[in-house]
Amino acid sequence: MGGLFGSLGIALGALAADQGAVAVTSNNIANVNTAGYSREQVNLSENVPVQIGNLLFGTGVTLGQTTSIRDNLLERRLDQENQAAGQLNAFLGPLNQVQALFNEAAGTGLQTPLTAFFNSLTHLSTNPSDAASRQGVITAGQNLATAFQQDSSNLQALQSNTDVAVQQSVNQVNQLTQQIATLNIQISGQEGVGLDPGAALDQRTQLVRQLSGLIGISEADAGNGSLTITTTNGSSLVVAGQSFALSTQVNSNTTYHDVYSQGTDITSTINGGALGGEIQVRDKEIPSILNKLDTFAYNLAASVNTQSKAGFDANGNAGVNFFAQPTAVTGAASSIGVAITDPNLVAASSDGSVGSNGNAQALANLQNQTIINGQTPANYYSGLIYQIGNDVSQAQSEQTAVGLVQQQLNDQRGAVSGVSLDEEAVNLIRYQAAYQASANVINVINKLLATTLNMTT
Amino acid sequence: MSVRINPNPAPDLLAAIALNRQEQSTALQQISTGRLVNQISDNPAAAAEVTLNHVQGSQDAQYLQNISSLTAQGNTIDSTLSSVVQALTQAISLGTEGANGTLSDANRQAVAQQLTGIRDQVLSLANQTYQGSYVFAGTATSTQPFVLDATQPDGVKYNGNTHVNSVTISQGNTIPVNVSGSQIFTNPAGDVLGSLNGLITALQTNTGLPAANTNLQQAFTQFTNQRVFYGNTLQRLQSTQTYLNSDKLQLAQQENSLVGVDLSSSITNLERSSTATSAILSATGQILSTLNLLNYLK
Repeated sequence: MGGLFGSLGIALGALAADQGAVAVTSNNIANVNTAGYSREQVNLSENVPVQIGNLLFGTGVTLGQTTSIRDNLLERRLDQENQAAGQLNAFLGPLNQVQALFNEAAGTGLQTPLTAFFNSLTHLSTNPSDAASRQGVITAGQNLATAFQQDSSNLQALQSNTDVAVQQSVNQVNQLTQQIATLNIQISGQEGVGLDPGAALDQRTQLVRQLSGLIGISEADAGNGSLTITTTNGSSLVVAGQSFALSTQVNSNTTYHDVYSQGTDITSTINGGALGGEIQVRDKEIPSILNKLDTFAYNLAASVNTQSKAGFDANGNAGVNFFAQPTAVTGAASSIGVAITDPNLVAASSDGSVGSNGNAQALANLQNQTIINGQTPANYYSGLIYQIGNDVSQAQSEQTAVGLVQQQLNDQRGAVSGVSLDEEAVNLIRYQAAYQASANVINVINKLLATTLNMTT
Repeated sequence: MSVRINPNPAPDLLAAIALNRQEQSTALQQISTGRLVNQISDNPAAAAEVTLNHVQGSQDAQYLQNISSLTAQGNTIDSTLSSVVQALTQAISLGTEGANGTLSDANRQAVAQQLTGIRDQVLSLANQTYQGSYVFAGTATSTQPFVLDATQPDGVKYNGNTHVNSVTISQGNTIPVNVSGSQIFTNPAGDVLGSLNGLITALQTNTGLPAANTNLQQAFTQFTNQRVFYGNTLQRLQSTQTYLNSDKLQLAQQENSLVGVDLSSSITNLERSSTATSAILSATGQILSTLNLLNYLK
């Protein structure tokens, strides 16, 4: 190159490069608060020098492709933790409601009606012919049955609500996978022509983050900028530009929705994300609590009925079932009820005379016998309380731990990809100074050219 | 090159504020409820223990109520039996008087008349009811237990039974609460009503008076022995009541140690979290409003 016109060209190129650099800086500053934005870096490169004679002359600067600064490994780790966080959130929401139903720490739950029922029998034993005490046993029995029914129905309502949440999560997953597939095409296209797909990558990273909050996923780089996403058990969700929608279908046994991927039921294999948590609550946690409640109601009714039939009522007739005996363990808590309404039918007597309290005593003593799966009613129930409390407590601890890891990873991500206003200000000053310098160079060259031209006149 | 740090501290600051607010709210809840465990997840093992504690507390309350009604019933029975003692003492004295050989027929008849009155009084006491139930009928509490019946050898028919009711008055402590009427009033080892009838007949016929008096004495002794049962029952009720009241206290202490709050430590926690919240708020304000280099560009 060499010569004044060459220098003019270099200065002009520098002006253009600095303008571009200021534009990148300006874009970084504009996106300082944009979620998921990865800062862009200006890439200035020295032009190829030219040889004139035996001398090499530089030819200025070129603004290359900007680079989005991101650490893909960090992004994957964030996705993984997001899966755990999504699952724990979805699990704890309904579970906190379950623990409110059985919050014995505040006196809510089955303990009060259960003890009141046995106390009513103990009370009856002091005066077995007393009509009010007999009525008291029926009322306490009804209260206990109602408590069982309410707990059972509340648990089932929670299960139904969670089922609705499962369907909503599946719909959201499908929307996200569709958007990610579209972005895969866009990113591959941009990479194919040598462009930096920073904005599209940021957008896809954000969508994948949202997706990981909904379902456990595995990510694999397909090589051309596109991302292959499967569920943790390997069911395809996104492959290149194609998304594979999940679907739901009512399970005739449970009446709840199973999740299908391309015709295969994957419900039990879904792990992680809100969907994982919802399925865990709906298909494992609540059924386990319901089963314990049903076992409790069934065995209690059976034992009370057996003892009831061993005694005599106030009319001297053989005792009848006190509770309407549930036909099976499943559903026992929701179907239990008191079978008698006439106080005289309470089988308090052990010898047929109205003043005998032998059977009322025996009925009251059931509270100290191992009638529920080898445990006394109170011990069995306190075991259930421990289970619920422990499940919630464990999930809360995990949630705290996951939250801390997320916070740490977000800090690391910020350190890599976050926009620092100080840094951008420094860059701005640098590009401004360079721009001003190049403009001055043009001024000087202009003057030199004028001087040169004036030499001819 | 220096290590790049996260230029956006806002999420960390917000998390710190939220954590301190959470600690503040927990401490406040503990102070306002007086409990360390407000949700079963706060301490599942303590919540399970406290459930059993409440069961026992509620059972104790019921046992205390049972003891109270059994004591009222026992007192009524004891007072009835006390009246029977008085009547029998009077009968024994009349029997001795009637056995005096100097007594005229008319006077003996008069004594017999007086004794008939006493017999009727004892009969009435033996048919005592409590809250509508006959207390000396065994468990046949709706049937009047004693009726005069000349066809019976002792002139009295017992319509009750010999069954005994037992009541649990504390965990694992069950006591019998009645003695059958036949054991008290028509016991073969000392038949109260039969010996009264025998004495009346002896006085009326002026035959076998010494034997009749001896029978009445025996019956009195037997009766006194049977009466001891109710005295003992009342004593057991009272001692169990004392035990249950102390058990209640112990359960309350146990509950407090399981889920109760240590006020001083909760107040300290509240103070600490409040100070920490103020500090983090002040720091957040300061950090987020700190000027950056852009503010100095001219």
